[in-house]
Amino acid sequence: MHRRAQRRISSQTVRWLGLIVVLTMALAATASDRTIHRGLGPEPDSLEIHQAQGLSAFNVLRDIHEGLLTRDSSGQPVAGIALEWHSDQQQRVWTFRLDPEARWSDGSVITADDFVRGWSLALDPARASPTAHWLDPIESFRALEPHVFEVQLNIDTPWFQELLTLPVTFPMAEHPELSSGPFMLEQRVPGSQIQLLANPFFRQADQVWPDQIIWHVTEDPGAELSRFRAGELHITESVPPGRYRWLRQQLGQQLRVSPYLGSFFLGFNLSQPPFADNLELRQALSLAIDRRLLVERVLGSGELPAWRLIPPGLSGWPQSIEAAHANNDQARIERSRRLYQQAGYSAERPLEVELRFNTSLSHRRLAVAVAAMWKQHLGVRTRLVNEEWKVFVTNRRQGRITQIMRGGWIADWSDAGNFLQLFESDSPLNYTFFSDPEFDRLLVQASQASSAQRQSLLYEAEQRLLDQQAIIPLYYYVSRHLVHPDVQGFADNPMDIHLSRWLSLADRTDQNQ
Amino acid sequence: MLNYSLKRLASAIPTLLLLITVAFFLIRIAPGGPFDAEKALPEDIKANLEAKYQLDQPLIIQYVRYLWQIVQLDLGPSFHYRDWTVNELIAQGAPVSFTLGALALVLAFTLGTALGAWAALKQNSVADYSTMSVAMIGISIPNFVVAPLLVLVFAVTLGWLPAGGWSYSFSHLLLPTIALALPMVAYIARITRGSMIEVLHSGFIRTARAKGLPEREVIVQHALKPALLPVISYMGPAAAGILTGSVVIERIFTIPGIGSHFVQGALNRDYTLVMGVVIFYGVLIIVMNFLVDLLYAWLDPRIRYD
Repeated sequence: MHRRAQRRISSQTVRWLGLIVVLTMALAATASDRTIHRGLGPEPDSLEIHQAQGLSAFNVLRDIHEGLLTRDSSGQPVAGIALEWHSDQQQRVWTFRLDPEARWSDGSVITADDFVRGWSLALDPARASPTAHWLDPIESFRALEPHVFEVQLNIDTPWFQELLTLPVTFPMAEHPELSSGPFMLEQRVPGSQIQLLANPFFRQADQVWPDQIIWHVTEDPGAELSRFRAGELHITESVPPGRYRWLRQQLGQQLRVSPYLGSFFLGFNLSQPPFADNLELRQALSLAIDRRLLVERVLGSGELPAWRLIPPGLSGWPQSIEAAHANNDQARIERSRRLYQQAGYSAERPLEVELRFNTSLSHRRLAVAVAAMWKQHLGVRTRLVNEEWKVFVTNRRQGRITQIMRGGWIADWSDAGNFLQLFESDSPLNYTFFSDPEFDRLLVQASQASSAQRQSLLYEAEQRLLDQQAIIPLYYYVSRHLVHPDVQGFADNPMDIHLSRWLSLADRTDQNQ
Repeated sequence: MLNYSLKRLASAIPTLLLLITVAFFLIRIAPGGPFDAEKALPEDIKANLEAKYQLDQPLIIQYVRYLWQIVQLDLGPSFHYRDWTVNELIAQGAPVSFTLGALALVLAFTLGTALGAWAALKQNSVADYSTMSVAMIGISIPNFVVAPLLVLVFAVTLGWLPAGGWSYSFSHLLLPTIALALPMVAYIARITRGSMIEVLHSGFIRTARAKGLPEREVIVQHALKPALLPVISYMGPAAAGILTGSVVIERIFTIPGIGSHFVQGALNRDYTLVMGVVIFYGVLIIVMNFLVDLLYAWLDPRIRYD
C-alpha cells in the first residue's frame, strides 16, 4: 500500500516536472528564438525623427522607420517606401511612386501626405529640428496623388538619394508613435535598453528574420567587450581603443575592422600668428609627421595613413591616398627642415606651440607622438593642452586661443562636398578660419556643375586646401565591431550602416527548419 | 523632538535655495552650451533650439522661471535626452540606484560592523591583523579595478552571472552590489574596530564587567551601541552618496541609475538634468543627515533635541 502510494506520487511528480520542462522550453523558444542583441553606444538623444542627432539614435530609427529610400546590407541606398522614382533632365524635379503595400504599424496605408506632414514638421522652426538644415537643397514638395510624391530641388544634389535615407526625411503618421519600418518600439529604459519587435504590417515583413531586436546602451566600450565575451551581445557598437592586437588574437575574425568615411586631421588656426601667412611653417610641421608610424605604432587598429582630407572609398573619387613624399622618409624630413628654416625658425629660435585636443586617451597618445616627431626633427617645443569636450569645441569655434587643434569629420553622406564644406569662409564649421575666395568659388561652381565636372572641381578645391596646408591630415577612420560568428547579413561598409532587418542568426535558423 | 524636527526642516529651505542658485549659475558659467557639438549647427537652427528651451531669455528671467517650476515640482525637459523630462529620468533612475545602493549599504553595514567588532575583540591577534590588512586592501583598491575583475571571473570566464544589464533579479544585482559594497565594508570595519576598542577600555564597560554581567551581554548590550556612533555618522552622507548611484559601477555594469545622468548631464551641459540631480542629491543629503541625528539620540541617551 505504502509503496503503491509512493509510486503514484513519483509518477505524478514526473508528470508535473515534464509539464514544467515543456512549458519552460516553449517559453524559452518564444522569448529568445529570433532575438538579436546589439550594442548601441550612448543613450540616443531622441527617437523622434526630427529631434534625433546622434549616431546611436539614427541606428535605432533606421530600424523603426523607413524613408523613400533605405539602405541595403552593404549600406547602399535602395528602394524603400518608394518603389521607383525618376527626375527631369536637370535632376531638379523628382517624382516618387510609393509602394501601395507600405503600411504603418497599425495597418493604415502610408501615403504621400505622410511625407508632406513629416517634411513640413521638420522645417517648422518652432519644432527646432537640429537636422532641418539638411533639407536646405529642397525647394518644395507636394503629394501629387495618394501614392505619388514630388520634390523640387534648388541646387544640384548628388547626395539626394542618400539624404532620403536619413531620419529627417522619413514620413510621419498622424500618431507619431507609429512605425513605418521593419520593427516597432516595444519598450525603452533610458540608459539600459531599447526593445523592438517585428512590425507585422511592414511591407516586406516576410523577408525580415529577427522577431526581436534588443539594442543595449553601452556607454563604455570596455563593458561592452565584457558583455560580448559573456555571450550577451551578438554585435558590438565599438571596441576599446588600443587593444587591437589582443582582440585579434583572442577573437580572430569576430573582430571586424573596415574603412569608414571619416578623416582625422590637425587644424591650424589661420586667423592669427604664428600660422597666419606662414605657409612654410605649416608645411614643415606636416612633413615632419610620419603617418605610417602613427597608424602602426600609436593607433594600431587598422587605420589608414592620410595625406589628404577626403578618404578613399568615395565612389568616383581619385584613389591617390599617399602623396609622393610619403614613402621617402629622408627626403621628407630634409624638406621639412628646409621649410622650417625658411619660415624663420631654427634650433636657436625654436617654434613654441600649443597642440589642443579634447580629453581622450587615444588623442593624448597621438598628440604625444606628434609632439615627439616635431621635437626630434625640427626642435619644436610643443605644449599639449587637453580640454573637456564642450570647452574644447567652444574654444575651437571661437579661435581666440587656439593654435593647432584636433579636427575630424565623419561624412553625413558619401560626398566629397560634405567634407569640404568645413572650410568654406562663412561656414559655422570652419574652425581653422581658412578663407580662400578661389576655394569658395570652386565649391559654388561645383554645386552648379554636372556630376563628372563636379568631382573634378571638388578635387581641385581639396588640392587648394592642401596646397595652403590649412590642415595636417593624419589618418582615415575605420569602423570597428565585434560580430558573433552566428550572425549573418552583417556586411562591412564605408558608411558603417547595418540595418537589423538584414541580419539573422545561423545556428538557430537551422534548428527551426 | 517635533519642535526640533520642524526647525531642521525650516532651515533646509534656505540651504536648498542657496544650492539651487549656486548650481544654476555655475553650470551656465561653464564654457560651451547644450547645443555645441563637433558638427556645429547653423546659427538659425541653434537659435530655434535656444528659443524652444527659452535659453534666449536673460539669465535672471530664466532663473526666476526655474525657481517657479521647482515650486511646482517640475524639473523641466532634458536638453540632451529630448524624449524625456528630468522628472521622468529621475523617476526611472532613482529606484534602480536606490535598490542597488540599499543592498550595498545593508551588506556593507552588516559585514563591516561584524568584522570590525570581531577584530576589536581579538585586538592585536593574528585574526585582527589579517582582517584589518584585508580591509586596508579593500579601501586601497578602487571600484573600477574590483568591478571589471568580478566581471572577468564570474561572467566572462565562469559564465555564472551576467556581465552587465539590469533587472530586479538576484543574478543582475549580485556583482554590482558586491563591487559597490566592498570599499565600504573595509571602511566601516576599520571605523568600528577603532571605536569599539575605545569603548571597551572605557569606565562603564569595566563597571559592567565588574557587576559580573556575561561577556556576551557586555558586548552586545553595552559596548556595541556606543561603538556604532561614528559608523552612523559616516553612514549618513555615505548613504546619500551611494543611493544616488555610483557612476563607476553603473558604467561598468551598464546599470540605468541616476549616477550616470549626473556625469553625462554635466558633460552634455544638460542644464536641467544637472540641476535636477543636484536638487535630488541635496534633498537626500539633508534628509539623511536629519535621520542620522535622530538615530544618534536613540543610540546615545545623553543626546537630546529639545
